[in-house]
Amino acid sequence: MDAAIRLDKLTKFYGSRVGVEGLDLEVRPGEIFGYLGPNGAGKTTTIRVLMDLIRPTSGTATVLGMDAQAESVEVRRRVGYIAGDPSLYGNLTGEETLTYAASLRGGGDWRRVHELADWGGDGRRRGPGGSYWRRVHELAERLECDLSRRVGTLSSGNRRKIAVIRAFMHDPPLLIMDEPTGGLDPLMQEEFGKMVREASEKGATAFVSSHILPEVEQVCDRVGIIRQGRLVAVESVDTLKSRAMRSLEIEFGERVSPESFSNLEGVHNLAVSGTTLKCGVTGSVGPLIKAAAQFDLIDVALHEPTLEEIFLTYYVGGEQDRAA
Amino acid sequence: MLRSVLLKTLRDQRRSLLFWGVGLVLVAAFLAGFYPTVKDNKLFQQMLETYPDELKGLMGITEGMDITSGVGWLNVEAFGFLTPLLFIVYGVIAGSAAIAGEEGRGTLYLLLTEPIERGRVVLEKFGAMALATAALCIVLYAALAVGASATGMDDVGMLNLAAITASAGLLGLTFGALAFAVGCATGRSGLAGGVAAAAAIATYLVNAMSMSVDALAPIKWASPFFYYNGADPLANGLDQTHALVLLAAPAALCAVGYLGFRRRDIAV
Repeated sequence: MDAAIRLDKLTKFYGSRVGVEGLDLEVRPGEIFGYLGPNGAGKTTTIRVLMDLIRPTSGTATVLGMDAQAESVEVRRRVGYIAGDPSLYGNLTGEETLTYAASLRGGGDWRRVHELADWGGDGRRRGPGGSYWRRVHELAERLECDLSRRVGTLSSGNRRKIAVIRAFMHDPPLLIMDEPTGGLDPLMQEEFGKMVREASEKGATAFVSSHILPEVEQVCDRVGIIRQGRLVAVESVDTLKSRAMRSLEIEFGERVSPESFSNLEGVHNLAVSGTTLKCGVTGSVGPLIKAAAQFDLIDVALHEPTLEEIFLTYYVGGEQDRAA
Repeated sequence: MLRSVLLKTLRDQRRSLLFWGVGLVLVAAFLAGFYPTVKDNKLFQQMLETYPDELKGLMGITEGMDITSGVGWLNVEAFGFLTPLLFIVYGVIAGSAAIAGEEGRGTLYLLLTEPIERGRVVLEKFGAMALATAALCIVLYAALAVGASATGMDDVGMLNLAAITASAGLLGLTFGALAFAVGCATGRSGLAGGVAAAAAIATYLVNAMSMSVDALAPIKWASPFFYYNGADPLANGLDQTHALVLLAAPAALCAVGYLGFRRRDIAV
């Protein structure tokens, strides 16, 4: 199998409004792919095309080698999905919610759910051969999720956990998750990250959308950046980090002159006022810190770039490429 | 009850269906309870005959109907207005809730992202509504049958009673299926319920008025109410053609709903 997900000129219009336009993307099998973009960029649109909830205006989406529209049922059998806004049946308990999901997945037989989800073919059988019900409780325990309570009485974070279990319970070869950690507390976010990495180690592919950069950095191997319906860049997380401009603020015990820092590699937008230096840095901060250490250095504050700053990097970069 | 979309849909309605059942039994008991005071009461019949034809039409009183007989009493009081209304109300509520209701609450994705065809979801949702309607028919039939024999409605044939009750159920299912189809195609439960309710009122009026307004007579065949009791099944037994129309209409509307739903973008 070549790509786990392949988008080919995928375009979706809502009337005259652009959802996504001309997306070309390949997600490799086994990787954790972060799909990064601000709200309304087209992340959910892309994911809903993959799940066949909406139909593309033009272009195609291929999932695990199958057409996302024509072979949608087979695609969904092999996918674990978390919706961005995971509404659940408020009148069911967590256990009932998952029983229902498993029934629809495998005709009410937990064991069959496992067999049907087993992607096989390449000899990488996943998960224990045992009962799926045990798997559900194992996941619930990991996420500290009480399955006996009615979903309607749960907090949004706890509802999210049930949505997470629903996606993971059949050990699918592909996880498609739309902002999956919303509402989870930091500890649970970490646990969730571990679950995704474990799945990836067993050979599963994960496609995770997010509008929060650090979240994507922690879990993902590669990142696609989408903005206003168009894919801006696809990079490895390492490249993204090194290219991203972080803002740096240095406080000195004496007045410094801008000239001492102006020719350093990776330093941009240098501004010195009195004893304070502000600038943006791409790549290593080493040269700047070394130069600063020659003076009476009091404090250094480093700010991780916001998503908007990352976009700016790529927009500036894109413009330069075009100019060159 | 969580093994399929059909069973889950019925499960969600279990309390509501219980109340519907109890309500129908009370209606039957009420009508049977009053019958002895009407039976052989010629004054009552004479009073009704003074009503204008238009009003008789609205009340389901046809030419030569004797309201003091069991058949006449049930035709006017049970099947003239009340029972069809109840079945239509149930149908429209269930039909607009089926697909569009889940879509509005944001839970439709829970079904459509599992490995099942959209067509199966449509069929099971529709099946749940049809089964629930059938169950309500059986409850009403049983209650009326007991009431009729207990209060001496000797002229009411049990098969004919079954025919009119089933016709009422199918009439309700027809409008339920209309709400279902509009909901499937648009995802808007309010619109679905509104369209079906408006259609029910309009076609009811067309059918009722066609008895006195000659201009409406040629289009009464377009009204489901005509196929419901136009052939007076309680007196004459089931009219096969009419029954077939009432079976075909919901099935056709369900198919229309599927066609509208099959390729549509889902809101949530």
